[in-house]
Amino acid sequence: MNLAFSKRNSAPSEVASDTIDIDVTPVMNMFIILIPFLVSVAVFTHLTIIEFSLPPNVGMGLDTSEGKPKLKMTVVVTSDYLAITHGDAMLDSIPIVNGEYDYTLLFKKLSIHRKESDIKNEVIVAVRDAIRFKHVVKVMDRCRGAGFEKVGLSSAPEETESL
Amino acid sequence: MKSPLSFIKGRDTDGVMGTFRPQLTSLIDVMTILLVFLIKSFSVEGNLITPSPDLELPISTSEKPPKPMCSLIITKSSVLSEEDKIAEIDQFKDNDSLLIPLLYDWMTIQKAKCVDKERAKEVLIQSDRDVEFNVIKRVMFTCSKAGFSDFSVLVLEEE
Repeated sequence: MNLAFSKRNSAPSEVASDTIDIDVTPVMNMFIILIPFLVSVAVFTHLTIIEFSLPPNVGMGLDTSEGKPKLKMTVVVTSDYLAITHGDAMLDSIPIVNGEYDYTLLFKKLSIHRKESDIKNEVIVAVRDAIRFKHVVKVMDRCRGAGFEKVGLSSAPEETESL
Repeated sequence: MKSPLSFIKGRDTDGVMGTFRPQLTSLIDVMTILLVFLIKSFSVEGNLITPSPDLELPISTSEKPPKPMCSLIITKSSVLSEEDKIAEIDQFKDNDSLLIPLLYDWMTIQKAKCVDKERAKEVLIQSDRDVEFNVIKRVMFTCSKAGFSDFSVLVLEEE
Protein backbone atom coordinates (compact mmCIF):
# COMPACT_ATOMS: atom_id res chain seq x y z
CA MET A 1 0.00 0.00 0.00
CA ASN A 2 1.38 3.37 -0.92
CA LEU A 3 0.91 6.04 1.63
CA ALA A 4 -0.08 9.45 0.35
CA PHE A 5 2.39 11.30 2.51
CA SER A 6 5.33 9.27 1.24
CA LYS A 7 5.63 11.89 -1.48
CA ARG A 8 6.72 14.35 1.13
CA ASN A 9 10.33 13.12 1.14
CA SER A 10 11.17 14.87 -2.06
CA ALA A 11 8.68 17.74 -2.09
CA PRO A 12 9.06 21.15 -0.48
CA SER A 13 6.70 21.91 2.39
CA GLU A 14 4.41 24.18 0.36
CA VAL A 15 3.94 21.51 -2.27
CA ALA A 16 3.60 18.74 0.31
CA SER A 17 0.79 20.56 2.09
CA ASP A 18 -1.20 20.32 -1.10
CA THR A 19 -0.60 16.64 -1.55
CA ILE A 20 -1.21 15.42 2.01
CA ASP A 21 -4.91 15.03 2.39
CA ILE A 22 -5.87 13.40 5.67
CA ASP A 23 -9.56 12.75 6.03
CA VAL A 24 -10.45 14.23 9.42
CA THR A 25 -14.19 13.70 9.12
CA PRO A 26 -14.29 10.64 11.46
CA VAL A 27 -12.25 12.51 14.05
CA MET A 28 -14.59 15.47 13.84
CA ASN A 29 -17.60 13.18 14.17
CA MET A 30 -16.07 11.63 17.27
CA PHE A 31 -15.44 15.08 18.76
CA ILE A 32 -18.96 16.22 18.01
CA ILE A 33 -20.42 13.22 19.86
CA LEU A 34 -17.87 13.08 22.69
CA ILE A 35 -17.73 16.76 23.64
CA PRO A 36 -21.48 17.30 24.32
CA PHE A 37 -21.50 14.09 26.37
CA LEU A 38 -18.50 15.16 28.44
CA VAL A 39 -19.92 18.65 28.91
CA SER A 40 -23.13 17.12 30.25
CA VAL A 41 -21.32 15.00 32.86
CA ALA A 42 -18.47 17.38 33.71
CA VAL A 43 -18.22 18.54 37.31
CA PHE A 44 -16.73 21.99 37.48
CA THR A 45 -17.13 22.56 41.23
CA HIS A 46 -16.10 19.79 43.56
CA LEU A 47 -18.14 19.66 46.74
CA THR A 48 -16.62 18.23 49.89
CA ILE A 49 -17.54 18.16 53.56
CA ILE A 50 -15.81 18.94 56.83
CA GLU A 51 -16.90 16.82 59.75
CA PHE A 52 -16.88 18.16 63.27
CA SER A 53 -18.62 17.61 66.56
CA LEU A 54 -19.97 19.64 69.39
CA PRO A 55 -17.91 19.88 72.59
CA PRO A 56 -19.72 17.00 74.39
CA ASN A 57 -18.16 14.60 71.85
CA VAL A 58 -14.91 16.31 71.05
CA GLY A 59 -12.95 18.95 72.84
CA MET A 60 -14.95 19.39 76.00
CA GLY A 61 -11.73 20.68 77.43
CA LEU A 62 -11.39 17.76 79.79
CA ASP A 63 -10.66 14.13 79.11
CA THR A 64 -11.40 11.95 82.12
CA SER A 65 -10.83 8.61 80.39
CA GLU A 66 -7.65 7.96 82.38
CA GLY A 67 -9.06 9.22 85.64
CA LYS A 68 -7.44 12.63 85.53
CA PRO A 69 -8.44 15.60 83.43
CA LYS A 70 -6.44 16.55 80.37
CA LEU A 71 -6.74 19.93 78.77
CA LYS A 72 -7.15 20.23 75.05
CA MET A 73 -5.74 22.90 72.81
CA THR A 74 -8.15 25.62 71.75
CA VAL A 75 -8.01 28.08 68.88
CA VAL A 76 -9.99 31.20 69.70
CA VAL A 77 -11.22 33.17 66.69
CA THR A 78 -12.06 36.80 67.40
CA SER A 79 -12.51 39.77 65.11
CA ASP A 80 -9.10 41.16 66.12
CA TYR A 81 -6.84 38.16 66.45
CA LEU A 82 -6.46 34.39 66.58
CA ALA A 83 -5.35 32.90 69.86
CA ILE A 84 -4.03 29.46 70.73
CA THR A 85 -4.81 28.55 74.31
CA HIS A 86 -4.34 25.53 76.53
CA GLY A 87 -6.61 25.75 79.51
CA ASP A 88 -6.13 29.19 81.00
CA ALA A 89 -2.73 29.68 79.41
CA MET A 90 -2.46 31.60 76.18
CA LEU A 91 0.23 29.98 74.05
CA ASP A 92 0.16 32.35 71.11
CA SER A 93 -1.72 35.30 69.74
CA ILE A 94 -1.80 36.09 66.02
CA PRO A 95 -3.13 39.56 65.24
CA ILE A 96 -4.94 40.47 62.04
CA VAL A 97 -2.60 41.86 59.37
CA ASN A 98 -4.12 44.28 56.83
CA GLY A 99 -7.60 43.07 57.72
CA GLU A 100 -6.73 39.42 57.07
CA TYR A 101 -6.06 36.53 59.40
CA ASP A 102 -2.57 35.08 59.10
CA TYR A 103 -3.51 31.46 58.48
CA THR A 104 0.01 30.47 57.49
CA LEU A 105 1.38 31.58 60.83
CA LEU A 106 -1.52 29.87 62.60
CA PHE A 107 -0.64 26.62 60.86
CA LYS A 108 3.01 26.91 61.89
CA LYS A 109 2.15 27.73 65.50
CA LEU A 110 -0.38 24.90 65.72
CA SER A 111 2.15 22.42 64.36
CA ILE A 112 4.68 23.50 66.98
CA HIS A 113 2.24 23.45 69.91
CA ARG A 114 0.76 20.12 68.84
CA LYS A 115 4.11 18.45 69.48
CA GLU A 116 4.08 19.73 73.05
CA SER A 117 0.44 18.85 73.71
CA ASP A 118 -0.71 15.69 75.48
CA ILE A 119 -3.72 15.29 73.21
CA LYS A 120 -2.38 15.44 69.69
CA ASN A 121 -5.44 14.62 67.63
CA GLU A 122 -8.14 16.87 69.08
CA VAL A 123 -8.57 20.60 69.04
CA ILE A 124 -11.39 22.98 69.82
CA VAL A 125 -12.16 25.95 67.62
CA ALA A 126 -13.92 28.56 69.75
CA VAL A 127 -15.51 31.30 67.69
CA ARG A 128 -17.00 34.69 68.55
CA ASP A 129 -20.54 35.44 67.37
CA ALA A 130 -19.64 38.09 64.80
CA ILE A 131 -17.11 35.98 62.90
CA ARG A 132 -18.07 35.04 59.36
CA PHE A 133 -18.36 31.36 58.60
CA LYS A 134 -15.67 31.38 55.89
CA HIS A 135 -13.06 32.28 58.52
CA VAL A 136 -14.23 29.42 60.73
CA VAL A 137 -13.79 26.98 57.85
CA LYS A 138 -10.29 28.32 57.14
CA VAL A 139 -9.26 27.89 60.77
CA MET A 140 -10.67 24.35 60.83
CA ASP A 141 -8.68 23.60 57.67
CA ARG A 142 -5.46 24.77 59.28
CA CYS A 143 -6.19 22.68 62.37
CA ARG A 144 -6.67 19.56 60.28
CA GLY A 145 -3.59 20.44 58.25
CA ALA A 146 -1.54 20.69 61.43
CA GLY A 147 -2.48 17.10 62.28
CA PHE A 148 -5.55 17.44 64.50
CA GLU A 149 -7.92 14.77 63.23
CA LYS A 150 -10.91 15.73 65.37
CA VAL A 151 -12.11 19.29 65.43
CA GLY A 152 -14.69 20.50 67.91
CA LEU A 153 -16.59 23.69 67.20
CA SER A 154 -17.62 25.84 70.10
CA SER A 155 -18.70 29.36 70.90
CA ALA A 156 -16.16 31.71 72.47
CA PRO A 157 -17.62 33.87 75.21
CA GLU A 158 -17.01 37.60 75.01
CA GLU A 159 -15.00 37.62 78.24
CA THR A 160 -12.35 35.48 76.53
CA GLU A 161 -11.27 38.76 74.94
CA SER A 162 -9.51 39.63 78.17
CA LEU A 163 -6.98 36.91 77.36
CA MET B 1 1.33 28.24 2.18
CA LYS B 2 -2.24 27.82 1.12
CA SER B 3 -4.69 30.31 2.58
CA PRO B 4 -7.44 28.91 4.83
CA LEU B 5 -9.93 30.81 2.71
CA SER B 6 -8.62 29.52 -0.57
CA PHE B 7 -11.85 27.73 -1.31
CA ILE B 8 -13.68 31.00 -1.84
CA LYS B 9 -11.47 31.97 -4.75
CA GLY B 10 -13.83 30.30 -7.13
CA ARG B 11 -12.55 29.25 -10.53
CA ASP B 12 -8.85 28.79 -11.02
CA THR B 13 -6.83 29.83 -14.08
CA ASP B 14 -8.12 26.90 -16.13
CA GLY B 15 -11.68 27.94 -15.43
CA VAL B 16 -12.35 24.80 -13.36
CA MET B 17 -14.34 25.20 -10.14
CA GLY B 18 -12.02 25.15 -7.04
CA THR B 19 -12.29 22.40 -4.45
CA PHE B 20 -14.08 23.24 -1.19
CA ARG B 21 -11.34 22.36 1.30
CA PRO B 22 -11.53 24.20 4.65
CA GLN B 23 -8.48 24.03 6.89
CA LEU B 24 -9.60 22.05 9.94
CA THR B 25 -6.25 21.85 11.72
CA SER B 26 -6.90 24.70 14.15
CA LEU B 27 -10.43 23.48 14.82
CA ILE B 28 -9.10 20.03 15.68
CA ASP B 29 -6.48 21.63 17.94
CA VAL B 30 -9.23 23.46 19.84
CA MET B 31 -11.36 20.32 20.02
CA THR B 32 -8.42 18.29 21.35
CA ILE B 33 -7.66 20.81 24.10
CA LEU B 34 -11.36 20.93 24.99
CA LEU B 35 -11.54 17.15 25.07
CA VAL B 36 -8.56 16.89 27.43
CA PHE B 37 -10.07 19.52 29.75
CA LEU B 38 -13.46 17.80 29.80
CA ILE B 39 -11.96 14.36 30.42
CA LYS B 40 -10.08 15.90 33.35
CA SER B 41 -13.36 17.29 34.71
CA PHE B 42 -15.18 14.02 34.15
CA SER B 43 -16.73 12.56 37.25
CA VAL B 44 -18.41 9.18 37.31
CA GLU B 45 -20.05 9.86 40.67
CA GLY B 46 -21.32 13.33 39.89
CA ASN B 47 -22.57 15.54 42.71
CA LEU B 48 -24.81 13.81 45.21
CA ILE B 49 -25.78 17.16 46.63
CA THR B 50 -26.75 20.20 44.63
CA PRO B 51 -26.19 23.36 46.64
CA SER B 52 -28.84 26.04 46.62
CA PRO B 53 -28.22 28.81 44.05
CA ASP B 54 -28.62 31.39 46.86
CA LEU B 55 -25.53 30.06 48.59
CA GLU B 56 -21.90 30.98 48.26
CA LEU B 57 -20.23 28.06 49.96
CA PRO B 58 -16.95 28.53 51.82
CA ILE B 59 -13.77 27.18 50.23
CA SER B 60 -11.83 24.46 51.99
CA THR B 61 -8.92 22.09 51.51
CA SER B 62 -11.06 19.16 52.66
CA GLU B 63 -11.26 16.25 50.23
CA LYS B 64 -13.93 14.18 51.92
CA PRO B 65 -16.85 13.56 49.55
CA PRO B 66 -20.37 14.36 50.74
CA LYS B 67 -22.84 11.61 51.53
CA PRO B 68 -26.62 11.71 51.69
CA MET B 69 -27.90 12.80 55.08
CA CYS B 70 -30.37 15.18 56.66
CA SER B 71 -29.54 18.61 55.28
CA LEU B 72 -30.08 22.20 56.36
CA ILE B 73 -29.48 25.31 54.30
CA ILE B 74 -28.49 28.60 55.90
CA THR B 75 -28.65 31.57 53.55
CA LYS B 76 -27.94 35.17 54.49
CA SER B 77 -31.59 35.70 55.40
CA SER B 78 -33.16 32.40 56.41
CA VAL B 79 -32.83 28.77 57.43
CA LEU B 80 -34.29 26.36 54.90
CA SER B 81 -34.89 22.70 54.47
CA GLU B 82 -34.48 21.28 50.98
CA GLU B 83 -38.00 22.37 50.09
CA ASP B 84 -39.30 24.95 52.56
CA LYS B 85 -38.28 27.97 54.55
CA ILE B 86 -38.10 27.06 58.25
CA ALA B 87 -37.16 30.32 59.97
CA GLU B 88 -36.03 33.85 59.20
CA ILE B 89 -32.65 34.74 60.69
CA ASP B 90 -33.90 38.14 61.86
CA GLN B 91 -36.52 36.41 63.99
CA PHE B 92 -34.06 34.51 66.18
CA LYS B 93 -30.56 35.94 65.90
CA ASP B 94 -30.97 38.35 68.82
CA ASN B 95 -33.00 36.04 71.07
CA ASP B 96 -31.70 35.21 74.52
CA SER B 97 -32.45 31.55 73.99
CA LEU B 98 -30.23 29.67 71.56
CA LEU B 99 -33.07 27.33 70.64
CA ILE B 100 -34.94 27.99 67.38
CA PRO B 101 -38.41 26.51 68.03
CA LEU B 102 -39.52 26.10 64.41
CA LEU B 103 -36.25 24.46 63.48
CA TYR B 104 -36.40 22.21 66.54
CA ASP B 105 -39.86 20.97 65.52
CA TRP B 106 -38.71 20.28 61.98
CA MET B 107 -35.54 18.50 63.07
CA THR B 108 -37.46 16.34 65.52
CA ILE B 109 -39.74 15.20 62.69
CA GLN B 110 -36.74 14.50 60.46
CA LYS B 111 -35.07 12.43 63.15
CA ALA B 112 -38.24 10.40 63.64
CA LYS B 113 -38.42 9.73 59.89
CA CYS B 114 -34.88 8.37 59.72
CA VAL B 115 -34.81 4.56 59.93
CA ASP B 116 -31.03 4.10 60.15
CA LYS B 117 -30.05 4.89 63.74
CA GLU B 118 -26.47 5.84 62.86
CA ARG B 119 -27.56 8.17 60.09
CA ALA B 120 -30.17 9.66 62.39
CA LYS B 121 -27.43 11.54 64.27
CA GLU B 122 -25.89 13.13 61.19
CA VAL B 123 -26.77 16.51 59.80
CA LEU B 124 -25.23 18.39 56.89
CA ILE B 125 -25.16 22.17 57.15
CA GLN B 126 -24.99 24.09 53.88
CA SER B 127 -24.18 27.59 54.96
CA ASP B 128 -23.33 30.73 53.07
CA ARG B 129 -19.73 31.83 53.64
CA ASP B 130 -20.75 35.24 54.96
CA VAL B 131 -23.21 34.04 57.61
CA GLU B 132 -22.19 35.01 61.14
CA PHE B 133 -21.21 32.28 63.57
CA ASN B 134 -23.98 33.50 65.88
CA VAL B 135 -26.50 31.97 63.45
CA ILE B 136 -24.53 28.75 62.95
CA LYS B 137 -24.21 28.36 66.71
CA ARG B 138 -27.96 28.61 67.22
CA VAL B 139 -28.68 26.14 64.42
CA MET B 140 -26.14 23.67 65.85
CA PHE B 141 -27.54 24.05 69.34
CA THR B 142 -31.07 23.40 68.10
CA CYS B 143 -29.93 20.36 66.11
CA SER B 144 -28.14 18.93 69.13
CA LYS B 145 -31.27 19.42 71.24
CA ALA B 146 -33.21 17.50 68.59
CA GLY B 147 -30.76 14.60 68.91
CA PHE B 148 -28.23 15.28 66.14
CA SER B 149 -24.63 15.03 67.28
CA ASP B 150 -22.52 14.49 64.14
CA PHE B 151 -22.21 17.63 62.07
CA SER B 152 -20.78 18.24 58.61
CA VAL B 153 -20.53 21.42 56.62
CA LEU B 154 -20.65 21.51 52.85
CA VAL B 155 -17.73 23.34 51.25
CA LEU B 156 -16.19 23.88 47.85
CA GLU B 157 -12.93 22.08 47.33
CA GLU B 158 -10.00 24.43 46.86
CA GLU B 159 -8.38 24.09 43.42
